[in-house]
Order: sequence, then structure tokens, then C-alpha cells
Amino acid sequence: MNSFLIGPAVSAAITMVLALLITIIDKLVNNYGVVTIDINNGKKKLEVKGGSPLLLTLAGQGIFVPSACGGRGSCGACKVKVISDVGPHLPTELPYLSPDEVKQNVRLSCQIKVKKNIDIELPEVLFNVKKYKARVVSMRNVTYDIKEVLFELGNDVIQFAAGQYVQLVVPPYDKVKESVQRAYSMSSIPSDTRHVELLIRLVPGGIATTWVHTKLAVGMTVELIGPFGEFHVHDTPKTMICVAGGSGMAPFKSMLYDIAERNLYPDKEIWYFFGARTKKDMFYLDEMDALQKKLSRFHFVPALSEPQPDDKWQGETGIITDVLDRYIKEHIGKDNGLEGYLCGSPGMINACIKVMTAHGIRENEIYFDKFA
Amino acid sequence: MKNTQSELDAYERMKPGIITAAGFLGDDVRSLRDIIEADEEAMAQYGITFEHAADFLKFLKAAGQAGLGEPITVQSRYVVTVGDARGKLPCPWQDGLFHKNSVMVTDSKTDISIIYSDLSIHMLSVHHFCQGQGSPFRLNPEHLALLIK
Repeated sequence: MNSFLIGPAVSAAITMVLALLITIIDKLVNNYGVVTIDINNGKKKLEVKGGSPLLLTLAGQGIFVPSACGGRGSCGACKVKVISDVGPHLPTELPYLSPDEVKQNVRLSCQIKVKKNIDIELPEVLFNVKKYKARVVSMRNVTYDIKEVLFELGNDVIQFAAGQYVQLVVPPYDKVKESVQRAYSMSSIPSDTRHVELLIRLVPGGIATTWVHTKLAVGMTVELIGPFGEFHVHDTPKTMICVAGGSGMAPFKSMLYDIAERNLYPDKEIWYFFGARTKKDMFYLDEMDALQKKLSRFHFVPALSEPQPDDKWQGETGIITDVLDRYIKEHIGKDNGLEGYLCGSPGMINACIKVMTAHGIRENEIYFDKFA
Repeated sequence: MKNTQSELDAYERMKPGIITAAGFLGDDVRSLRDIIEADEEAMAQYGITFEHAADFLKFLKAAGQAGLGEPITVQSRYVVTVGDARGKLPCPWQDGLFHKNSVMVTDSKTDISIIYSDLSIHMLSVHHFCQGQGSPFRLNPEHLALLIK
């Protein structure tokens, strides 16, 4: 062998031996084997291959913990109470946990790995959450920036309460290299178990909504995971005061159609305040009008905050909280008591809570679905 | 200009899929130091400081919050929409966590639109980083100058 080849050959051989050594050590050290996940004190036991994050391991077994970022540790939604010892909280978890949650060993399931047997607690409603293959059967613009998308679930069915949400799985596209998930309230009626309808507003720069508005088309198949969420109509005789704007319409459409179809809560008066800036931001006026004719105890109050001369708007004007305040003072009967239902941004929810509590509605009787 | 280790690390975290799905660099192929220096020069050329621009963006965001998630006109000129998303985003320089949100401003005088977040404001004021060309959240110095005027 030529002497000048000896150096590179020895170097290559050493590299090969080192690579082999690393592979063997990796197999030995990082092989956690089969481990058991005990959920809710023995109610469910899963035998799984160890080594992966808890969130993904559970999803692999058909248990879907809500996650808005798809496991990247940036939403803080996938909280799970861990009973057994899985080590101290990681720096990536702490910003999303309150001191009380840290004390109770609540963990972000996307950040902790299943390396040994683990005992956890989960809300049992999560056992009913499924992943659906859903085909887009119709899409229409209800405003210039909100799309109504109807999905068909094939032979599958979804059982949900009006007000709940699903997670839409957005596949990688263009520069987006990883799949992401986003939560959207269902606007469809629960009795239609073979379809899911969503209202999706374009968020400028938003990964998921940009995909929906520019890539999603009729005939495409996507994944939906759900149902999730605690937002629902409470069976009381109290007058229901609902407030929303934009795509916050979704859960209320589902609730109102459900109430009308089954004549639910017959003693409940229902007031629905819907805010938009101009007429081009307003939608479903005809649908809500038809619902008012069908359900005499339902009152729809659409309001524009900045009506334009071309709008020829005859309805209420002003910021929706001001309209709400005025109506509670002057139009809404209080004999049966009042309860609040809100869907929107944290700012909108907080502003509405302020108005409602000022009128004597107790904070624990104000139910909401915060976008954030 | 040579990038510091801190800039090299931040640059890696700015790529798509690390902190946000789209990242902060857009289709810009320049180094982080080059992007920052070019924008520092542009800001000086347009006669605005990073602190002034950041304060202006904070003001628009605060005023836009009165719209409760819907668009609202501020100072009879700017249409501002403040949207919120779930969670927090770390700064690529690892010096803070910021609520995930998006503020969209359309200026009826110039027709310029910009989008920014709490993290954008922080990166602008502290790191003089306007984001790469083609990033949806880029704060173009020329646009900032026209918006402020």
C-alpha cells in the first residue's frame, strides 16, 4: 500500500470504530424498553415503547392531549398531572406553569420523556377524543377574511356538545417544515355527526390560517382531532347573554341551532351580541334573522363599531361592550337572573366580564372560550 | 462583519420550525450581523431610532386593543387589529418570553401594512432586528418611517 494512503485509512478506521461505539452505547443507554403508563390510578394502563415525549406517546395510543403548537413547547396547552417521579421541572416548562401547578407536579407532556413506568392523571373526556380523516366538501367566504369550511368524516361519526372545538392538523407547506395544530370551535350542529363545520379567520402571518385561506381546497383530506373543551350551554332558567365578534360566531352558531332544533332549555331567554367594525366584517345576518323567527325567545343584536356611509347600517353602533351595557340596563329582563357566554380574544373577554359583573352577573356564571 | 457567537446561536434559532414554524429570516440569505447593520443604516438614513419606532408600535397596539379583537381606527388614520394566540414565544437571543400575538396595522394615508408581535417589538428595540427580507413580520425601516411621519 502506498504510504500516503496509510494516514487517511487509519483515520477512516478510527472514525468507523468510534461511530460503531456510539451506536452501541446509544442502543444500550437510550433503550428504555417497554414501559407502562398508568392513567387515573389504574383506570387505563398502556404498554408503550419508552424514550419518546409523553404527548407523542399518548397520541400513538389514541389519547390526544390538547396541544396548539403540535409539541414544540411554545403553547403550554398540553398540561398533564404526573403522580410518579419524572425528575425536576425543565426550564422549558416553567414559564407556562403557575407555582401551584409546579407544586402539584403538573408537567408539559411535550417536554417530558417516558423513560420508565409513569403514573398520570387525565380528564376522562379525553378518552373520547379521536383523530378523524376529514374531506373538505365545501368552502365559502362569509366575509373577506373568514372562511366557512365544511368537512365530511366519511364513515366515522363525531359526538360533541355545542361549544366544543377540534384541532386542525396543518401539514408542512412552502417554508413551513413541520406540521402544526390549531384549535377551532365547531360551528356545525351536533346532530349532524358526519360533518364538522369551522369558521376560520385569516390571521396575517398565521401559519395555519394562511394555509386554510391559500392552500386548502374542496376535495382535500385533512386530519381533525377532537372534540375538546368545556364551553357549553348550562341547563338553568337564567337568561343567556352571549357576546362574540369575528370567528367567535362559531360556537354560538352551533349552540343556537342545537337549541332551536331540539327546543332545549325552554325557559331560557337568549340574547346574542355580535360586534364587527363595518358591514363587510359582518356575516350570518340572514341566518340569525331566520333563527329569531323560529325561536321567539332568541334576540340577535348585531353592532358596528365604525359603520361606513355605504353600509347604510340601521342597527346598533358602538363598541360591543357599550352596546351590551346599554341593553342590560334598558332592554334585558333580570327576573330569571343572567349568565354570560363569551367567545373571543382575552381583551374582549376581560372587557365583557367587567361590564357583566358591574350588572351583578357573578363571575362564576360567566362562561367563556378564550382564543388565547 | 464577523458574527458573534450569540448572533450565530440566535440565527440558528431563527430558522423555520425552531421557535415559530416560519422562522424570522424569510428568504434573506444574509448573515444576522449583515441584516442588522443594513437596517441600522436604513433607520439612521430615515431619521428614526429603534426606541422611537418600538414606542410607536407599542402605542398602536395599546390603542388597537380597544377594538376587542376587531379592527379599530386609531387617530383617524391607522386601522389596527390586535389578535391573540395561545402560548408564549422565547426571543432567539434567549433574553425573554413574549405572549404570542399579532398586531396588524394598515395606514390609510400611505396604504402601508405591517404585522408585528410583542416579540417583534422586543427584537426591534433591544437587538435592532427588523427580521429578514420576506419574513411576514418584517418591520421594513422605510415603512416604519412612513408610518410614523
